[in-house]
Amino acid sequence: MNTSKDYDVIIIGGGATGAGTARDCAMRGLSVLLVERHDLATGATGRNHGLLHSGARYAVTDHESASECIQENMILRRIASHCVEENDGLFITLPDDDIAFQSLFIDSCQKAGINAQAIDPDYARLIEPSVNPELIGAVKVPDGSVDPFRLALSNVLDAKIHNADLLTHHEVTGIIRKGDRVTGVELYDHQTRAKVSYHGKIVVNAAGIWGQHLAGLAGVTVNMFPAKGSLLIFGHRVNTMILNRCRKPANADILVPGDTICLIGTTSERIPYDEIDNMYVSTEDVDVLIREGMKLAPSLATTRVLRAYAGVRPLVAADDDPNGRNISRGIVLLDHQERDGLSGFITITGGKLMTYRLMAEWATDLVCRKLAVEKQCETADNPLPGSEKNDFSVKSATRKIYSGSRVVQMSAQDRHGTLASNIASSDMMDDAMVCECEGVSIGEVNYAIKELHVANLIDLRRRTRVGMGTCQGELCACRAAGLLGEALEETVQAKDDLANFLQERWKGMYPIAWGETLIESQFTSWIYEGIYGLKPENN
Amino acid sequence: MKFDTVIIGGGLSGLTCGIRLMEQGRKCAIVSSGQSAIHFFSGSFDLLSRVNGQEVTNPLESIHSLPSEHPYQRVGQANIARLAEEAPQLLDRAGMVFAGTAKRNHFVLTPMGTMKPTWLTLDDFTSFAKNDKLPLSRATIVNLQGFLDFHTLFIKDGLTRYGVEVQVRNVAMAQFEAIRRNPSEMRSSNIAKVFDQGDALDQFAEKVNKLGKESDVIILPAVFGLFNTTVPAALKARINKPVVLLPAVPPSTPGIRCQIQLRQRFQELGGTHFLGDMVREGKFKGNRLRYVNTNNHGDIQLEADHFILASGSFYSKGIKAGPYGLFEPIFGLDVDGENEREKWFDKQVFNNQPYMHYGVRTDARFRPMINGQPVENLYAAGSVLAGSNPLKEGSGAGICLLTSLHVAEQILQDQDDEERYI
Repeated sequence: MNTSKDYDVIIIGGGATGAGTARDCAMRGLSVLLVERHDLATGATGRNHGLLHSGARYAVTDHESASECIQENMILRRIASHCVEENDGLFITLPDDDIAFQSLFIDSCQKAGINAQAIDPDYARLIEPSVNPELIGAVKVPDGSVDPFRLALSNVLDAKIHNADLLTHHEVTGIIRKGDRVTGVELYDHQTRAKVSYHGKIVVNAAGIWGQHLAGLAGVTVNMFPAKGSLLIFGHRVNTMILNRCRKPANADILVPGDTICLIGTTSERIPYDEIDNMYVSTEDVDVLIREGMKLAPSLATTRVLRAYAGVRPLVAADDDPNGRNISRGIVLLDHQERDGLSGFITITGGKLMTYRLMAEWATDLVCRKLAVEKQCETADNPLPGSEKNDFSVKSATRKIYSGSRVVQMSAQDRHGTLASNIASSDMMDDAMVCECEGVSIGEVNYAIKELHVANLIDLRRRTRVGMGTCQGELCACRAAGLLGEALEETVQAKDDLANFLQERWKGMYPIAWGETLIESQFTSWIYEGIYGLKPENN
Repeated sequence: MKFDTVIIGGGLSGLTCGIRLMEQGRKCAIVSSGQSAIHFFSGSFDLLSRVNGQEVTNPLESIHSLPSEHPYQRVGQANIARLAEEAPQLLDRAGMVFAGTAKRNHFVLTPMGTMKPTWLTLDDFTSFAKNDKLPLSRATIVNLQGFLDFHTLFIKDGLTRYGVEVQVRNVAMAQFEAIRRNPSEMRSSNIAKVFDQGDALDQFAEKVNKLGKESDVIILPAVFGLFNTTVPAALKARINKPVVLLPAVPPSTPGIRCQIQLRQRFQELGGTHFLGDMVREGKFKGNRLRYVNTNNHGDIQLEADHFILASGSFYSKGIKAGPYGLFEPIFGLDVDGENEREKWFDKQVFNNQPYMHYGVRTDARFRPMINGQPVENLYAAGSVLAGSNPLKEGSGAGICLLTSLHVAEQILQDQDDEERYI
């Protein structure tokens, strides 16, 4: 990477918004640097339901958000088909809920352009057998599931195709100013432990909840409203459609199926800003999530919980909103030149995963205005890498090029779309299974290490789902660590990495450490500490 | 069906109890669900490797610094010393040769390339007297191509720190192509099955001999001898350099073999082994357990004068944790452990986890209790016992072997007493 290069735009934050902005800017011909302190999708992007909102949830309370959602929903189905599962959703009314809400709900949905249709409760039970059989009403909406890790990655891959540069594991430690103008960023490279600086004409703060801190580094104030939401992942897919409660949004009222699992969320709790990096899930949160989740799908009571996790919604505090208009829209775009007299610095925040592309478009429009670039946004029309349409279908395309074993092949295809053709499968070695829970092969692991910006095992998990399955890394972590160690030629780091990976897995397991989860933890400890002799202090 | 003793659990504890009692002429039955923690066998049995994080030199001496509720303290130091002599003899009679003494830990090499103190090591594996240096200067690590459960890089890294010059080599053989074709079949037990018969071992040894010409030792994964107990010795005879075997990711080939040998010993002594069965519940009369019912035996009751609970820890489902508390699933015995689940864990995975200490509560004679009252003719042995963190202490196998021998003695004593009164 060339530190003397003067980028058109430096984007801070490797979440969906930052990745999307990098893609949009790069597609409009700007020279782009995207920086991220950890890995892609480690903040709110990777810590939510993975719900492809139809917008129905907001229809009654926030018409504008609802229409944005349904528009972006339809766009993502087109441009990110390999990240999306078109599962549809049900909004169910239970005996405790007011059935009168249903007609208001349907009405509001239709006004926002959401195709919401009341269906007979008996029919709802037929099409979604997991649903609470006591339901008295059901509305079908075009909800879906979206894999946010894949989505953020695809945006970054496309940005790179358009010549953008990416630095993960680089934390912004300072915003460089020349008087009232921002001219670059100071970074700390967590891998080499070195400080570096990069310069750019515009710096975009797309750091989500951390945007408050970043704004502070630039000398301006953005007050965020950190609201923690906890979620639980269950060990398999209980439901095939997204299940929601047909009432005003509340705790734990969305159950989303995705990949091999389903997840329930969320709670909502205001937390102090200094706790945003401490995302623990409390026993009470777990109890609420299970209790409420059972009302959507009673079988959750006896379904194994795989993991608990929490994220922080990047909501912007109303008291600092300059004109009060943006807060209702959710998306907040701040031009700090106009607002604070600081040029070369803009903040894009608020919003939600569903509207990341729109947020990126707004931010890029502003960047382009400032740089007097006239090119129009094309991100809604061009498919992301992995979702390109071919003359033949994605499945037949990958099957032609990629002829590995069926389990491995299907899993890789689901995860990488058309990019699965980049996965080597020339011999049996490439096909050998690293992660049996999720069907991850050596070929896929090596592809991820080579092509998808993987610095450690935890990054690898986000790219391939290694260690995300029912064993939570019990058997595959060591295999993957070995491959990573070989590829990066760093054995010492590989042992530390393995220890860190086990700690990271444990963080999501201890809040729900009973039943099978406790058993797996005990197994894992015996394997790694007992048999292998792995200790953090050994390395 | 009537037995002298019915043993619940077919792991190291249950089999040890069964063999000991059968050797004394008692009629025993073991009810075993199948797999056990022996499938995680590293090749060594630990007695006591660490106390308060410090490595132990002499396990027998260090027992006194364990807390009073620890199973070793409750068996008693003198008894532990005596039983620790008996345990390897019992294993030896079952056909397994172990090296080591309870008076001084020796060391074995781990798959991380580090040294770990231990008590008894199976003769497949290599014991070292010291942990500060290795008696070798050049080693060749050989893995089978496509076998992902043996991590040569970690071993190499560890050995390099001991000043050992290491080369890593892979061996490909036609015999393994069939299992390699299925992406998830190249695992240790399947490899061991190939070596169990035919000429694979000869060919492998020939290849290894070519690769290891310049080395002092050859390091291999422990994938030799699953059903065929002669394979490890045959391997060593065919390779013209000393062989150091290291454990691979479970299931452990030598572990499965040891479990089979223990089971065969028990059966040869006349013991009844119900494999693939589980005890569902027991029928009590007063404070005595009269019989148990199992899944496979329907309404046929297994009656006995004595019962032994050797059902293991959480991973063997000897005790269970639900969202609302801990319980012992067969009889509802008293469990030693915190009620609130937020107290079960430490947030740092490598710290001492409280849940590891949990198990059934027993009286001075290792009899579990119901509402504080001991069951007169039920004993508990092995990992199901509360009072220790076997992982942190390196005491898992020791607790299994020695509490089992101790409980067997209690039962023999009991019966002697009863016979005297008749």
